[in-house]
Amino acid sequence: MAEFLTGAAFFILAVTALGLFRVLRSELAVERMMAVQLLGTGAAAALVLLGAASTSPATTDVALLLMLLAAFSCAAFTLGQSEEPGDAPAPKGDES
Amino acid sequence: MPENFTPRHVLLTRGAGFLALWLVLMGPALKDLPVGIVAAAAAAWTSAFLWPARGGLSFSGMLRFLVRFLPQSVAAGVDVARRAFAPVPPLQPGFVTYQTALPAGMARQACCAVMSLQPGKLPVAAEADGTLHIHCLDLREPVAEQLAADEAAFCETLQDGGRNG
Amino acid sequence: MSALADLFTLVMVAGGALLFLAGTLGLLRFPDTLSRLHALSKADNLGLGLIVLGLLPQVGSIAGGLKLVCVWLLAQLSAATASQLIAGALHRRKSGR
Repeated sequence: MAEFLTGAAFFILAVTALGLFRVLRSELAVERMMAVQLLGTGAAAALVLLGAASTSPATTDVALLLMLLAAFSCAAFTLGQSEEPGDAPAPKGDES
Repeated sequence: MPENFTPRHVLLTRGAGFLALWLVLMGPALKDLPVGIVAAAAAAWTSAFLWPARGGLSFSGMLRFLVRFLPQSVAAGVDVARRAFAPVPPLQPGFVTYQTALPAGMARQACCAVMSLQPGKLPVAAEADGTLHIHCLDLREPVAEQLAADEAAFCETLQDGGRNG
Repeated sequence: MSALADLFTLVMVAGGALLFLAGTLGLLRFPDTLSRLHALSKADNLGLGLIVLGLLPQVGSIAGGLKLVCVWLLAQLSAATASQLIAGALHRRKSGR
């Protein structure tokens, strides 16, 4: 069982990394923010699986913390976006 | 908050809830308990500012809502998966507008958050008059009927049927 | 009994992994940002939900199980609000132009 759970964890990590690659290459800041959410969910799933495989319950805490951080950074990002004077069209290639 | 005073028994109930959550997360060790009580009290105090006392939830409505929401949430994931795995993703994305009866504020935001986990729908923006802009994965589906049903189910979870923000 | 629980875990975790794959495929294949956001918030979320559900028979203690459920609840909450916030930010940028 432990081997299966570890395998599933690595599969999810690989798939998440693939999605991350796609999202991070985007020019839109919003799409890059999606990377945080993706990483939060994917890493939480992988950690929970690894924790069950190695019977170390502390990894669940790490998963919990990651989800929390993802939620907070999304909120902070949105606040930053709305506080921008930003009605002016951003120049092409602008990072934000 | 003078105009929005939270009664003491509500605060106590919330504090007990937060303490229970803390115990689940940290484990029931007696020497840690004082920290948990302080944390729960702080959380209850904060919640007085964020969650109006009158916006109570009806328990049976909540239960019926969960019975409806969980299968819908599963259906949403399966729906996205089906489209993602199809040789040509069957998509016709676009926006619909929907007039909600919920007043602006927490109830409406929560309703939007719930809708965003329903199949094929994602509320994008809400205007002051209650017009919601909702992004749909597939405009060929009967979106408006589904939205009305979702909203009705959500209103049942609020004690006053969603008339109060 | 234990074999049955193991089978349940196997099926649920496999289903969850499949949904994560679907989420990534959606990210790669869906045509616009908002559709990709659909894929991200819905598929990955259900994937995590299935994995948590599948692992429940494997945890020894009730507290451990409750904590797992907390992870899932937090994920649901975070996905619902985050997708809202991201979509809102996108909408404002578009209508601002």
